[in-house]
Amino acid sequence: MTKLTIVTGGLREPSSTRLLADRLDEAVRAELAEQGVPATSTIIELRPLGRAIMDAMLTGFAGADLEAAFEAVGSADGLIAVTPAFNASYSGLFKSFFDVVPEEILSDMPVMIAATGGTERHSLVLEHAMRPMFSYLHAVVSPTGVYAATDDFGAQHTASGLSERIGRASADFARLLRSCGPRQRRDVFAEELTAMESLLQKATRDDDPGSVED
Amino acid sequence: MRGEMAAMQFGIFTVGDVTPDPTTGREPTEAKRIHSSVAIAKKAEEVGLDVFATGEHHNPPFVPSSPTTLLGFIAAQTTRLILSTSTTLITTNDPVKIAEDFSVLQHLSGGRVDLMLGRGNTGPVYPWFGQDIRMAVPLTVEHYGLLRRLWREKVVDWSGEFRGALQGFTLAPQPLDGVPPFVWHGSIRTPEIAELAAFYGDGFFANHIFWPPSHTKRMVDIYRRRFEHHKHGAADQAIVGLGGQVFMRPNSQDAVTEFRPYFDNAPVYGHGPSLEEFTAQTPLTVGSPQEVIDRTLGFRDYVGDYQRQLFLVDHAGLPLKTVLEQLDLLGEEVVPVLRKEFQVGRPEHVPDAPTHESLVRAAEQAGESA
Repeated sequence: MTKLTIVTGGLREPSSTRLLADRLDEAVRAELAEQGVPATSTIIELRPLGRAIMDAMLTGFAGADLEAAFEAVGSADGLIAVTPAFNASYSGLFKSFFDVVPEEILSDMPVMIAATGGTERHSLVLEHAMRPMFSYLHAVVSPTGVYAATDDFGAQHTASGLSERIGRASADFARLLRSCGPRQRRDVFAEELTAMESLLQKATRDDDPGSVED
Repeated sequence: MRGEMAAMQFGIFTVGDVTPDPTTGREPTEAKRIHSSVAIAKKAEEVGLDVFATGEHHNPPFVPSSPTTLLGFIAAQTTRLILSTSTTLITTNDPVKIAEDFSVLQHLSGGRVDLMLGRGNTGPVYPWFGQDIRMAVPLTVEHYGLLRRLWREKVVDWSGEFRGALQGFTLAPQPLDGVPPFVWHGSIRTPEIAELAAFYGDGFFANHIFWPPSHTKRMVDIYRRRFEHHKHGAADQAIVGLGGQVFMRPNSQDAVTEFRPYFDNAPVYGHGPSLEEFTAQTPLTVGSPQEVIDRTLGFRDYVGDYQRQLFLVDHAGLPLKTVLEQLDLLGEEVVPVLRKEFQVGRPEHVPDAPTHESLVRAAEQAGESA
């Protein structure tokens, strides 16, 4: 069973960002189902976590709800991340969530990026803001993202209609998910412990004059 | 000496911050803050606490940049109090200087000294002291390895990566009674520190106050498990210390009302979660002495029987008078009950808190059996 987690940073109710997130979720699962891969999905709305995210930034630890969101992200095989475009970038809330997630939680994670905006002029937010951030977090970002402007939710007559773009991006992401397979989560805590153990053993060996070979 | 008999030690640890009192806007001078630390330490002894520990910082708004100077001054004005640190920076201090400073302090205080090592959390301190923060972990391992040898070997030949080599170096003065001060390793979040403490069979101090108990439990569990793995004893014989943070008034609601502005504006967690949220999520306890007793006794449920409990009581701009009142409540109403209650159900094989006297005895026994 492939586990998808969707993080959506829309602020209003109803939210076009959430609308896009839902359509991507359905499309990716349908694509996977067609290839005989069953999938489940969990949606994380960031707005209800707004205060918790800021508290975590200020105190350094997450409350229970935010911790549950981290768990949903960390245990996923793939992530769909959707943000509204604000001032030529992702929203501050969206960025803040990824600023407080535990270290390496996204390492090797297949990620599909998507964004919404008032006009199509902001579409490069995918390539100039989202892609570099997820690359920095060591995610494997799917080559095709989806940007939806307000107009896209009405006009379906053009060749590059939103449904078609969603279909293309979902097919790419499904392929990426299948080739990555079930995800092995990194345990930084255990890694640090092991590294320290070998460092200490090496240091005390070096210190011990009895171990010098000559 | 009280420390000699105590299964558990109770005391206070200070950050040494100069913070304006948010209720008056008044900021103490550095001189006033330093002398307040001395007054607080003397009061700690007067009300029957066992330990006073000072932080080490190298930038404003903090004053304790030279812990052994402060502790030496306090040692001269106390007779029972154990003087410690929270923490001594093993990364940026020269281990030779740490060995010398604490050896002298040990002699002056008649063995009333131990220390807690840590890495520090202020990035620029590394370059200020000629070190590279990216090497923090190997630096810790190398410096501590050298410190241990300086305190245990008469003549040290040593070379390493981060410090000039030593040939034929003898520490002067040698540790009091040939026994080095007990070492704790303090940590907020890094498992490496738990491993370091376990590897050498040293004490592990979980800062505890900034994070939820689940996190502290995980760190202490690792330390205990690794302590046993490295054959220093059973997991429940590892030496554990915890931080805590309290504000008390006889009437619980008075404590909350009085402490709230200090909490809301505190440099470390202010302007984030509410006082109520933070007290629910972390060990911070604001209320009556009985509430502090109940909460503190609960720490044992997730870390097991432990050896040292230090409280933070003097930060965020709290006036000296208020801090001294807190110490009165701790000494008169809280700690006597904690001493008694923590004894209940504590297994025989769980070690008492280490003191100079207990370490001397252990060294003598090891000498006899060798």
